[in-house]
Amino acid sequence: MIAGLGLLVGIILGLMLQPEVPLWLEPYLPIAVVAALDAVFGALRAFLDGIFDDKVFVVSFISNVLIAGLIVYLGDQLGVGGQLSTGVIVVLGIRIFSNVAAIRRHIFHA
Amino acid sequence: MTDDGRRDTALETQPPPQVRMPLLDYITAHSLDEDYAHVADRAGAAPSRPGRPGLAALVITGLFGLLVATAAVQTSRNAGDAQSSRDSIVTQIKARSASVDARRDRIANLRDEIGSLTALSLENTSQGRALSARLDRLGVMSGSLAVTGPGVRVVVDDAPGAVDDQQRVLDEDLQKLVNALWASGAEAIAVNGQRLTALSAIRGAGSAITVNNTVSLSRPYTVLAIGDPDTMPARFVETTHGRDWLDLRTIYGLEFEMTSQRSMRLPAARRLDLRHTTTGENR
Repeated sequence: MIAGLGLLVGIILGLMLQPEVPLWLEPYLPIAVVAALDAVFGALRAFLDGIFDDKVFVVSFISNVLIAGLIVYLGDQLGVGGQLSTGVIVVLGIRIFSNVAAIRRHIFHA
Repeated sequence: MTDDGRRDTALETQPPPQVRMPLLDYITAHSLDEDYAHVADRAGAAPSRPGRPGLAALVITGLFGLLVATAAVQTSRNAGDAQSSRDSIVTQIKARSASVDARRDRIANLRDEIGSLTALSLENTSQGRALSARLDRLGVMSGSLAVTGPGVRVVVDDAPGAVDDQQRVLDEDLQKLVNALWASGAEAIAVNGQRLTALSAIRGAGSAITVNNTVSLSRPYTVLAIGDPDTMPARFVETTHGRDWLDLRTIYGLEFEMTSQRSMRLPAARRLDLRHTTTGENR
């Protein structure tokens, strides 16, 4: 499975290189991970629905990460960074849950 | 033209789902990116591209893995940083307090040395001996010298099973006790091992009583007073505050016990550093 291979390579690469995250980027890393998680689960669901598309995946992944980071950045500048990241995480969390529910239905037919 | 017209009527009859549905329902219903469906619809006519992940998906999942691993590594590294900085602060605190202890010991040693050197140099002349005697007397009175002698030992405590403040020993009760002892001829007093000086204060700080502004006392309170053990108890009950204490004992059940002692040793007070006061005469 090509996606699983990519995931494995990425994790191994990350653990081996242990890239130093610049300090200004550090607050946005967790929210970027959550946004990326949403894109990945969406892609998995689309794959199981039989409508997966490479280009859409790339675009949704990158835009998810960038927009989530941007919202939190904007919130930080306005002084409501904590609240905005909570909002982003709630919305993304709901999406992740319902996507995982759909994936579950596909896998277990239940 | 016709297309636009149709869309307008559709808008009038059926507002878009963002408007119709509550926010959370909308998010749940549209959890999948709509683009997948759009692209699938468009490709539906020409199924040339199968729904299989390709090289781009490999790159992106690789990127995702990298992101996750980096975040995890960063988080654990930060936790390590916090722990190590805590450890280094703890080590610093220990080192500093050890050095404070060492310096305190040195101060005590030097003070002893000063005392013995002063005594030595004063012993040489009769004038010096007189001065030394005067110093000793002042030391006893000011509390800067440890003293021994006969006296009375007073132990006071809260009433057994005390529930309200009247049944407890308060700061003012302790003040009254000490004042009554002074009035009945005490020459030196220590409360729970804290020597009282001209600068001492007994006061309540929250639920505890502190003496000399730094030391919190714990029950029971032991007051040692050097004086004539035969006359002090009798003079004590003649003072106003002494009688107050007897009332406290009979009315509120506070514990009060006075015993005569043949010999007691009272410690010296912490050194009193006078920073602003000088003697009246200019020498």
